[in-house]
Amino acid sequence: MDAKDILLGLPKPTTTPTPLGHQLLPLPADKKSRPPKESQRKPDGISREVYALTGGLAPLMPSVDVNHLKRRAQSENEKITWQWLPFTSSARKDNLQLYHWVRVVNGVPPSGDYSFAKYNKSVDVIKYTDDEYEKHLTDPMWTKEETDELFDLCERFDLRFIVIADRFPTSRTVEELKSRYYSVCRAILIARAPAPGDIAGHPLVKDPYNISQDVERKRALSMVLSQTKQQERRDAEVLAEAKRISEARKAAKGTDELEVPAMTDTVPDDNDGAAAAVDSLSPSPNAQFTSGAIAPPVSEIASTLASLRMMRVYLRTHALEQMVQAASSSAGLRTIKRVEQTLQDLGVNLKPKVPTKAVCAEHLELRKEILILLNLQKQLQYKEAEGSSYRDGLYAETPGTPPKRVQRAVEQDRTFVPDSFSFGGERMGKRDQKRKAPGRLLEGPPSPAQSKRPRKFKASDG
Amino acid sequence: MPQSSSSSKKHGTDQPDIGGPASKSQRTKMVKSSDDTEKKNLAKKLKELEISVPIVYGNIAFWLGKKASEYQSHKWTVYVRGGTNEDISVVVKRVVFQLHSSFNNPTRVVDGPPFELSESGWGEFEIVITLHFHNDVCEKPLHLYHHLKLYPEDDSGPMSTKKPVVVESYDEIVFTEPSEGFFSRVQNHPAVVVPRLPAGFALPPPVPLEDADKRRRGDTKDHTLSQWFSNFSEADELLKLAAARQQVQAHIATLRRQLSLIDGQHQQLKSASDM
Repeated sequence: MDAKDILLGLPKPTTTPTPLGHQLLPLPADKKSRPPKESQRKPDGISREVYALTGGLAPLMPSVDVNHLKRRAQSENEKITWQWLPFTSSARKDNLQLYHWVRVVNGVPPSGDYSFAKYNKSVDVIKYTDDEYEKHLTDPMWTKEETDELFDLCERFDLRFIVIADRFPTSRTVEELKSRYYSVCRAILIARAPAPGDIAGHPLVKDPYNISQDVERKRALSMVLSQTKQQERRDAEVLAEAKRISEARKAAKGTDELEVPAMTDTVPDDNDGAAAAVDSLSPSPNAQFTSGAIAPPVSEIASTLASLRMMRVYLRTHALEQMVQAASSSAGLRTIKRVEQTLQDLGVNLKPKVPTKAVCAEHLELRKEILILLNLQKQLQYKEAEGSSYRDGLYAETPGTPPKRVQRAVEQDRTFVPDSFSFGGERMGKRDQKRKAPGRLLEGPPSPAQSKRPRKFKASDG
Repeated sequence: MPQSSSSSKKHGTDQPDIGGPASKSQRTKMVKSSDDTEKKNLAKKLKELEISVPIVYGNIAFWLGKKASEYQSHKWTVYVRGGTNEDISVVVKRVVFQLHSSFNNPTRVVDGPPFELSESGWGEFEIVITLHFHNDVCEKPLHLYHHLKLYPEDDSGPMSTKKPVVVESYDEIVFTEPSEGFFSRVQNHPAVVVPRLPAGFALPPPVPLEDADKRRRGDTKDHTLSQWFSNFSEADELLKLAAARQQVQAHIATLRRQLSLIDGQHQQLKSASDM
């Protein structure tokens, strides 16, 4: 009974009288309804399921040459039997007799200790005498019983302090236990040493356990681990910003000839000030928009130049990559894509095929100029959109609406840009009207301002 | 471009003479009286300079045709050579080619020119080429990454054993803040691009490399594979770039004019609506 049979039913069900009355019983093994199984044979050597894992196809290249596999040594000369034999382990203190399967070669069982006995390692915990305790180890916070108990637990649990803390009769924190243990060990070490100079190099003597530092460290660690994602992101942002600012300041100090934007001078150096720096930096790119976004990359370029100089040796292609990145640091991904598209339109390789000093310099300048060009285009769009709202007198009537209209106009214009940026002369306007690019939203319901002034302005060049 | 005279001979006999013969007497006086400041000036000048070495690296692969087996279908050579086929061992001490782990001893070290490695195989993979420089040049190594190409780009036509698949990349190694020794040693070498020191700066005679005598021929001008080397000329690219820049600059000028026009018009409109 297949699920498929139940759902689809077999073509010729027969009704057979059963004790429960007439019922439909499917015919057994109706060979025609069952789809023919794979006619190909499965390869020998591996089971059908394993072969199916490869997708039912043999691999294109032999993965492992059988000759490369090592042969098992000397399997013909000896007689191998497996026997259930008793064994002892040096790791056990009781005389418990255990049994296991043993590979017997030619009737000779293997000799030697139980193979896992060597892993039975333990820590050498110091044992002090009562005398020593009286003389060196007394402490107002700890009784002798507690200290003895602590050391006993340390021995049993191999200095696993978390386990020891759980089992300690009186409630003590892990750090307190550690502190007591290490200070006792240190005192014993110093007391037993013949001369203080002998153990001066011992780690316990040189760097004793500092309980307050440990507590603080664990607190800080738990704070870091329990930070929310948002906090983490904010911290990372602030740190990255601080790093960039300090690098820019360093580069600005190194290269006097380049003019540094005012904002980097007012930024303080430490991390706490970085938060203020973030706030002061974010509104400034917007303010710099009209100047064509040239000023912010200057500090990036300067710091890139400085870091390249410090590298002492580098490849020119690498240098060009870094400089291109620095020059486009204030540009978004879309702008960068547009720059690359423009380069392709101009027939220029995105990465120069012959990157000599001169070629790289020209390439960089070209990219910078394209950025300026794209910026100017954007400015032109904004100005035009502004202009149309002026003309309709909307700006004078309702100050509330124009920003929205400008935005909508700009959005419609944005898709227009790739079409309008065509090379080959001044007739930019005419060419666009002929084009039926899919990206043009102007075909749809336009705002009245737009329809009054279809690209007529662009066609007239001053 | 540097001349092709051998540097060690020239500087062994007399002081490096950068200015003309007339200023030589002047300079010797200067050297005697203000030795310290001149040293400082030289050091400062050297810090601003960069020395570059044009290189070409890549691979040439021949299909073995009838002799090809399943695991050895191609014979290929990966290499680093001077951009104009000059000897780069003046700067490069040794080159390490890191091959795919399926090769025996995948780390291949080449101690002298020509810096190349030949192997046979069937697979394409990334080869990490590490350049180690002489001690007076730079202590840090430099890494290049080359994807070994055996099979032709287009599948058209049968593979030929006579015509190899060649992939080369041009690049330039740039050394910033060169040391005096390095500068003086390479300043006349054809493989190295060295800026001219302005008149008045004198360099001490260079110290030749330790193994200068065991030098075998290091340039690749007459290499067996040189017929397949590509020619990299910056002239084409410069021309294209210059043309592109002109176009862009022209557009920028146009847009600026348009913008100032609009600004003027906006001013008019604004003053009109204010009334």
